[in-house]
Formats: sequence, structure tokens, C-alpha cells
Amino acid sequence: MDKERLKAAGIDADGALERLMGSEALMARLFRKFLEDGTFAALLESVNAGEKEEALKASHTLKGMCGNLSMDRLYRLFTAQVDLMRSEDWDGAAAMMPQISAAYEEAVSAIRDCFG
Amino acid sequence: MENRKDEARALPRTMLIVDDDIINRSILENIFSRYYRIEEAEDGSEGLEKILSNPDRLCAVLLDVVMPRMDGIQVLRRLHETGLTDRVPVFLITAEASDSVMREGYQLGVMDVIGKPVIPYVVLRRVQSVVELFGARERLSNVVELQQSEILEKARRIVELNQGMIEALAAAIEFRNGESGEHVRRIHDITGYMLKNTEMGEGFGPDDVDNIALAAIMHDVGKIAIPDAILNKPGKLTAEEFEIMKTHTVQGERLLGTIPQLRESEAYFYACDIARHHHERWDGRGYPDGLKGDEIPVWSQIVSLADVYDALTSKRVYKNAFSPQRALEMIQNGECGVFNPRLLDSFMKAEPEIRKLYEK
Repeated sequence: MDKERLKAAGIDADGALERLMGSEALMARLFRKFLEDGTFAALLESVNAGEKEEALKASHTLKGMCGNLSMDRLYRLFTAQVDLMRSEDWDGAAAMMPQISAAYEEAVSAIRDCFG
Repeated sequence: MENRKDEARALPRTMLIVDDDIINRSILENIFSRYYRIEEAEDGSEGLEKILSNPDRLCAVLLDVVMPRMDGIQVLRRLHETGLTDRVPVFLITAEASDSVMREGYQLGVMDVIGKPVIPYVVLRRVQSVVELFGARERLSNVVELQQSEILEKARRIVELNQGMIEALAAAIEFRNGESGEHVRRIHDITGYMLKNTEMGEGFGPDDVDNIALAAIMHDVGKIAIPDAILNKPGKLTAEEFEIMKTHTVQGERLLGTIPQLRESEAYFYACDIARHHHERWDGRGYPDGLKGDEIPVWSQIVSLADVYDALTSKRVYKNAFSPQRALEMIQNGECGVFNPRLLDSFMKAEPEIRKLYEK
């Protein structure tokens, strides 16, 4: 596992491994699951369509997922976005999407390279 | 002893993880699977169902808050209502560790609120220490229950032993009179019957009845102090001989007082009174104290009458047995002492049943 590659993409591989009690097999399995997950697409759609409740749910779910996998950069971004949405600053939340998308693409790329 | 240990409840070893996020469930399952058998549920309703189906198998429930269909707080409310949060430790594992969630969680009886994403050694320690605490409490209550039932069993055996000794003592004394132990047993049965089935027994609970019937067995223990020549004389006693015979009442009371184990028995108080007063008469012309009417305690009155009835209907050294009808006649006529009219009334009503004791 290329921990440096993951670190560059904002993923704390050691932190994730610790949470998973050192099981690299479980880590691979869960990161692959992340790749298959459709919540990010749902977030994009609902932000574009102005569906506030759906957007909040999606952002919150992504926050939890990234937290679990020690994807620290995305975790911080989603935490901020959820806070904005909860304080009704929908414009601010929507404005975060480019930054979030970029971080997401980078993370996905690194994960695909490391875990296949 | 070994059987009892097996009966003690086996400690539960299943942990239920309730969370809609499969990654969350995997992480927790991975942490705890080494220590417990794991079951999972995807939302609150499924979780609640799995808990209620058999709560005793569960050693812990890990509960997420934000879930579809039924959220963690709703599940918690139901568990709290049924008192299950006292029996099964519940932990909230949630990203929403806000003040209000925490407060309501604790009020509803959760053991701990643990934040997501989890840190393994933290969640492990916090959950395990509570599970061990519950386990220790359960084991302790098992031990206490076991000891309690053992103590009760021993107490029961002691009571049995006491009764056995008392009956043996009384029967031994009867033997000396040339009687069998049957007289003593019949007095016990008649006394018990009168207390349980007639108005004379009003105000006496079942323990009182047992104690009085037991005490009745010892009414004539004082006869051991009476010389054979008088006790077994076939003919009529002289005045002097009768005076000596009368002392078996106070001698009986004195004798009972010398047995230390007897003094601790609940029947002791009744036994002393019955031994002393079972020859008193309703009109005050009995012995040794010349008690009159209601001065004579109910239990002594009953034993007194039972003793007379039994003497009349049994063969003795100094007479043959009378028929029950004849015995009742003599009692009603005042030929064998004077009794409380209310007592006689009750006895007349009960006599057909009492008579059956003799047909055994």
C-alpha cells in the first residue's frame, strides 16, 4: 500500500489502519466500497437542483464516511459544508462544491491506484 | 449443589450493532468480534425487533442516532419504557454528540455516548468496562440467590428437626403412661382442625395455628414428674394422690422452661401456657390457677376440650372407651368439666370431621 500516495490525496492511511485494528484486508474492502458509493453523485445533483434536505443528508453521510476512513481533507470540507447548510447558508454551501469535487477526484484516483 | 450452579443464568455474550451505514457497522464489528458474538441491524425498527425478541441474550447494544424508519432516540425511548436499559447496557455511537442528544440519551438510560468516527481503544474500553460491570452484577445476584435458597432450605430442615424432637419427647412420656403416641397426635390434629375450621381460630394466621398445634403435643409432659403408682393406678385416686396428680400442669411448664432449644421456638410460649392451663374450667373451678371464663386463653381451652374428648373415646387404665355419641352427651351435660358455650358449639359442628381421625 502506497501510504505516501494516499497522504498526498488527503488520506491518513495509518489513522485508517488503526481504526480498522490493523486489518489491511478490511481496509481494502472498505475503500473499494467507497469507490462504489453513489452518495457524492447524489450530492451534486441535489445541490444543482436546489433540493436542500437531500443535499444536507448527502453531505452529512459523506462526512461520516470520510471520517471513518480517515480521509481527513474531505472530512474537514464536508464538516464545513454541513455547518453552512445547517445555518441556512445555501449559497455558501453550493460555493464549496468546486473545491470539494477537486478533492474528491484526487482521493478517488489515489484509492483506485492503491486498492484497485 | 452442582445442579443449582447449572441453573444459574448463563451470562449473555451477544452484541447488537444498529446503524444504517455499512462501513460503520463493519468498523465496530471488526473491533468487537474478538470478544462477543455480533448481530447487526440496519435501522431502528429492525434493531428494536432484534432486541425485544430475546433481550437476555444481549450483553450490549451499540446504537446510532440518525437512521431511517426509526432513529436511535426513538428506539431508546421504547427500551426505557420497558425497563430494558437497566438490564442491557446501551451505547449511543453517533456523530451527533450534541448537548441535547446527550442529555436525552442519558436520561433514557444509555451507559455512554461515544463520538464518531470512533477511536478503537476508546470505544473498546468504554464498552467493555460497562459490560463487565453488568456481568459482575449478574454473577453476584446469582450467587446471592443461590445462597438465599440454600439458607431457606437449611432453615426448613431445622424446623423439621425441632418438631421431630418435640414429638419424640411427648411420645416417650405417653409410653410411660401406658399409652401410644396416638393420643398426642390426635390432640395435635384436633387442635389444628378447630383453629383452621371453626370461629375459635379467628385471628390466628397459619404459622400461629402450626405453633399452637405443635405446642398442644406437650400438654402432659409434666406427667413425667408423677410417680408411677399414681399415674397408672387403675382405681380412683385419693385426695392426696389427686393433689399430686394435679401438679403435672405446673411441672410441665417448669420442665419446658429447662429446655434451652425449646425456649427459642415460637411454639414455646403456647406450650408453657397449655401445659399449665389445660385443666382450668370455664366456671373457675379448675386448676392450678382457677382461671375463669375468658381468662383462660383460647388455645388452652381447645386443648382442654380435645383432651377430654380423646380420653372419653379411648380406652384408659381406669376405664373403657365410650362411643363418640356418649362422649358428646357427657361433655354437653357437664359431666366432664365446664366449657365455653361458644367452644362447645364449634366443637359440636366440627365433631363429625374430628371423629374421622379415629377411624384411621
